Amino acid sequence: MADHPVHITAAAARTAFGRDHTRLRADGFAGVPAFAPVTRFPTEGRRTRHAATLPGAPALVDELVGVIDEVYTGPKSTVPLLLAAHADAGNRALAAEVAERTGVAGVPRVYTGACVAATSAVADAATMIATGRAERVLVAAGYLVEPSTFALFDAGRALSRDGRVRPFSAGRQGMLLGDGVAAVLLERAGKDPLARVAGWSRSGDAYHVCKPKPDGTGLARAITQAMTRAGVSTGDIDYVNANGTGTQFNDAAEVAALRLAGLDGVPVSSTKSVHGHALEASGLVELVATVLALRAGELPVNSGYLGADPHCELDLVVDAPRRTRVGHALTVNAAFGGANTALVVGAA
Amino acid sequence: MSATVEAGVVVASAYWPESDVDTVTAVTGFVVSAFNPLVAEVAQRCMSAYDGEVVADRTAIVLASVGGDRTSADVVAEAVAAGTRVAPLLFFQSNPNAVLGHVAARWGLAGPLVCTSPSGEAMADAIACAELLFAAGEAAAALVITAEVADESGGSDRAEAVLVMARERA
Repeated sequence: MADHPVHITAAAARTAFGRDHTRLRADGFAGVPAFAPVTRFPTEGRRTRHAATLPGAPALVDELVGVIDEVYTGPKSTVPLLLAAHADAGNRALAAEVAERTGVAGVPRVYTGACVAATSAVADAATMIATGRAERVLVAAGYLVEPSTFALFDAGRALSRDGRVRPFSAGRQGMLLGDGVAAVLLERAGKDPLARVAGWSRSGDAYHVCKPKPDGTGLARAITQAMTRAGVSTGDIDYVNANGTGTQFNDAAEVAALRLAGLDGVPVSSTKSVHGHALEASGLVELVATVLALRAGELPVNSGYLGADPHCELDLVVDAPRRTRVGHALTVNAAFGGANTALVVGAA
Repeated sequence: MSATVEAGVVVASAYWPESDVDTVTAVTGFVVSAFNPLVAEVAQRCMSAYDGEVVADRTAIVLASVGGDRTSADVVAEAVAAGTRVAPLLFFQSNPNAVLGHVAARWGLAGPLVCTSPSGEAMADAIACAELLFAAGEAAAALVITAEVADESGGSDRAEAVLVMARERA
């Protein structure tokens, strides 16, 4: 493998904090959550009413086109786009419309693999650049809270009933959904890159249709392989942006994985605690948040923390953002089916 | 004889249906839709057709479907529109990763799991995904599956699976 460098030269994320990063950096990083009662559709009869949403009823295709145009204003006719979105029979039409409106070279596929869809797209884009298949690749992902998924996660009793997401905390009740639309431009060479995708890896648990393997071995394998690709050791990782859904099973398994990988002493937070879970887009929103943390030298708060859970002993960033130099950060995601991804982000 | 793709060798393959009276085995926990049992069925046939060994941690599963599980999606949308309760079992099968979790556990395949809606020909694009995994060193083999269920415009349920070994392992 030729191993060309993979630079992140532009990044954009739209969340309930707005269509730029100002409030995400100010309020989100400080641990102020964006959750509120949903007004986009009725929630009567559901166990929870809360999510983190943009105002109104934005259209996914418009938001995707917006973030793609934001991260790359140059000619796109030679730039492929890897897209991630919820599995839907309309995805081929979505990809075609995004391609037509942005002018990208093409959208070969929409990644639909639940909560690792976007990071799987990033991994493939990084491989395309590292191996010389492409010099420049756009990755975009989007999820906007809508009634079907809200009803499904409610039926699965996955949603927190107290209006908060409390990753790794005692008393955590589950996740809450959040709008998330994001894009990054990855390039072999770029002027003033924001950061590098230094390492990436995916793994499976081979365990269950929806539960993570409790011992964390599958996720730990993805983490260690990503660090190996990046040529870094545990001592080089200054921050972990955790999957941290706030659910009992997932958080405990993730802690087990971080412990196996030797990262349980590294500062950790889950920004899902403030912007919610953007499902197929979550990994890209969190990659952008990780880049923002690395660039600012400021680690976001793991919001909603009520107290220690003995199964989740980590160096959590609580109370206030933590100032530190970040040379390398790790962002991890895990999904139904036991699918795991790990991305190592390095300073440019 | 093994077929070849750009960066890998197809060492086993399977189809559904194999005849006009072919059947699909139900999968415990998956309801309403034919999509997930169809994926599991063709995966079972493909893995059973291969008598060699795979390295569990290095074997990926790639699933490409243009339409996905449109049956489950329609059932959920109808329940939401009617204001009725959504069946809890639909929660996990609402995304294609879930059935891959079943296949991975059944066959002990602990490599990457990738699900896509391809814009072009499904099997060709799914194999392109497998080749990227091989190129990155993330996998040395991949169980590559395509599946579509009939929709309102007609057609019929169909699925295909191939087991591909990266060329250096073939």
